Amino acid sequence: MIQTLLYGLTIGAILYFFAIGLSITFGTMQIINFAHAMVYTLGVYFLITFMPVVRDFFPLATLLAIVAVVPVAYVMERFVIRRLYGESLDYAMIATYALLLIGTDVIKYVWGNTPQPVTDPIGISFQLFGIDVPVYRAVIVLMAVLVFAGLNLFFKKSIVGKIVVAALEDTEGVRCLGLNVDKYFSMIFILGSALAVLGGVLYAPISTAEPYMGHDILLIAFAVVIVGGMGNLTGTFVSAFLLGMVLAITGRYYSQAADTMVFAVMAAVLIFRRSDA
Amino acid sequence: MAPSTPDISMPRIAATKRTTIYRDMVLIAAAFFALIPLLAMHRVTDFMIFCIFVMSFDLLYGYMGRLSFGQMLYLGTGVYVSTLFSLHFNPNPILSLMAGVAGGAIVAGILGLIVVGLDGASFALANLAFNQVGFFLVGSAFQRVTHGEDGISAGVEPWGFLDFANESVAFGFVLLCLLFTFFMLRILTTSPYGILIRSIKENESRVKFLGYNTFFYKWLTFVLAGAFAALAGTLYTLYIGFVSPVFIHPLNNVEVIFAALIGGAGNLFGALIGGVLFMTMKDSLSSYIPQWEWILGILLLVIVFWLRGGVTGLIKILYGKAKMAKGAAKEVEKG
Repeated sequence: MIQTLLYGLTIGAILYFFAIGLSITFGTMQIINFAHAMVYTLGVYFLITFMPVVRDFFPLATLLAIVAVVPVAYVMERFVIRRLYGESLDYAMIATYALLLIGTDVIKYVWGNTPQPVTDPIGISFQLFGIDVPVYRAVIVLMAVLVFAGLNLFFKKSIVGKIVVAALEDTEGVRCLGLNVDKYFSMIFILGSALAVLGGVLYAPISTAEPYMGHDILLIAFAVVIVGGMGNLTGTFVSAFLLGMVLAITGRYYSQAADTMVFAVMAAVLIFRRSDA
Repeated sequence: MAPSTPDISMPRIAATKRTTIYRDMVLIAAAFFALIPLLAMHRVTDFMIFCIFVMSFDLLYGYMGRLSFGQMLYLGTGVYVSTLFSLHFNPNPILSLMAGVAGGAIVAGILGLIVVGLDGASFALANLAFNQVGFFLVGSAFQRVTHGEDGISAGVEPWGFLDFANESVAFGFVLLCLLFTFFMLRILTTSPYGILIRSIKENESRVKFLGYNTFFYKWLTFVLAGAFAALAGTLYTLYIGFVSPVFIHPLNNVEVIFAALIGGAGNLFGALIGGVLFMTMKDSLSSYIPQWEWILGILLLVIVFWLRGGVTGLIKILYGKAKMAKGAAKEVEKG
């Protein structure tokens, strides 16, 4: 059982890394970003490519992967997503889905279709309540908490963060103050993409790298964002771990039903929330 | 009794509308017959089934403005309900068809209660999520009944002259279903109900403000779209006779979205043109390039940024320009 809970925490942490970018993008720009899945997968493949270059030093390869994805995210934001601010939500969804289609095919073309394993970079376990806990998983959970604390600090203390929080509330109002909102949105978008890459890179050693790995987590991350509330930063954190637990506990008893259970929780939340409103 | 004045003019308007619908239906039938020499007949049948599916999606997206990323669920429900019905209850094709459509409508009726109240993004994503659940149920949970990824053969048997192994019969039957769908949707979308759902697309709160129960109309549209999608699904069962989870796969939703957009959303002709265009593209591209989805992606971007009206929108623009050019020429002639 403890093993299951730990797995839930790990998955929750990964979901948090992924969903936070989606949540911010939706909260500020009102855009549902399907291409987030592409960035996530791309980051993992960059990691695989950089690993031999840095002599299998995982943290450095992670950093390089994140840095390599930044220009991709910038181009996507600048030439596709920025042109769709304030336009109909549907077109933005379709455009980002189009990016996902293109990106997935590029990934398949460059790296091939076959799943590629990524080795556990630490590979040591420690004993906790009499069971083996891989240090790596503990590190992932720790990093999620650190990122959450860091993001909170960023949004509460830094001026960029404050502007973005204000824009989450009222974009027009911030624009009226004479601030160039687009610039900050762009920064936030890149930050979200970088976190998605971090999530992907950290998850890769637990699973395997394959071109559709982003698609799988995307749906669950959408559920996280809906349950947590779009653009709600703390809500996203809580719901990521909650749904991570749901995944792990369902997976323990009936592994194929895990995803379905998450969507059931989401449906329940949707029904409940509407009757509430 | 209500004053009788409107009663005099109303039927006449309706009558003229009917004749244009019949004219359009003849045109559509002729167009599909004309496609036969260009492609094989069985391909045209395939195209027509897909066109029914696109029309069902267009009712939801084009007319009511609700983008769903989960319309495959209703196609898949039609496919699987009709297949299982034909295997376990009755091999009659018409009964299987009715069972499939009823199944799609019931699933849409139940899930509609949950999703219809949501706004744009949540609506699209909730539908996608339910589609994923349906895919799981068919592909994994009920593997014993559906044979999962391996697929399953339908048990539909010929009934009278309705033998789907005969290409011409299948073509004729599917064409009739397509014309029926077109007829129904045309009548619905031009009726007061159709105006109402288009008003919901433009501004839902105003429609509500006028005292309409928008939830009910949205739900009704959702169920209708589900039922017509299921009709397309049952036709796949009858026609292909072998079904697999491909018919309910959530990743295939992009196909119908693309088809509706490239033809021009909110226009039944657009849906038909889009359906044929998409299938032609899929056929021709997939035989040359194994990975062709990126082309779909690029075309989608082109549509979103430069060609929102799709092909029918483009025709309208060109037609308008030609008209303007004509007008300008006349002006010049006049001096």
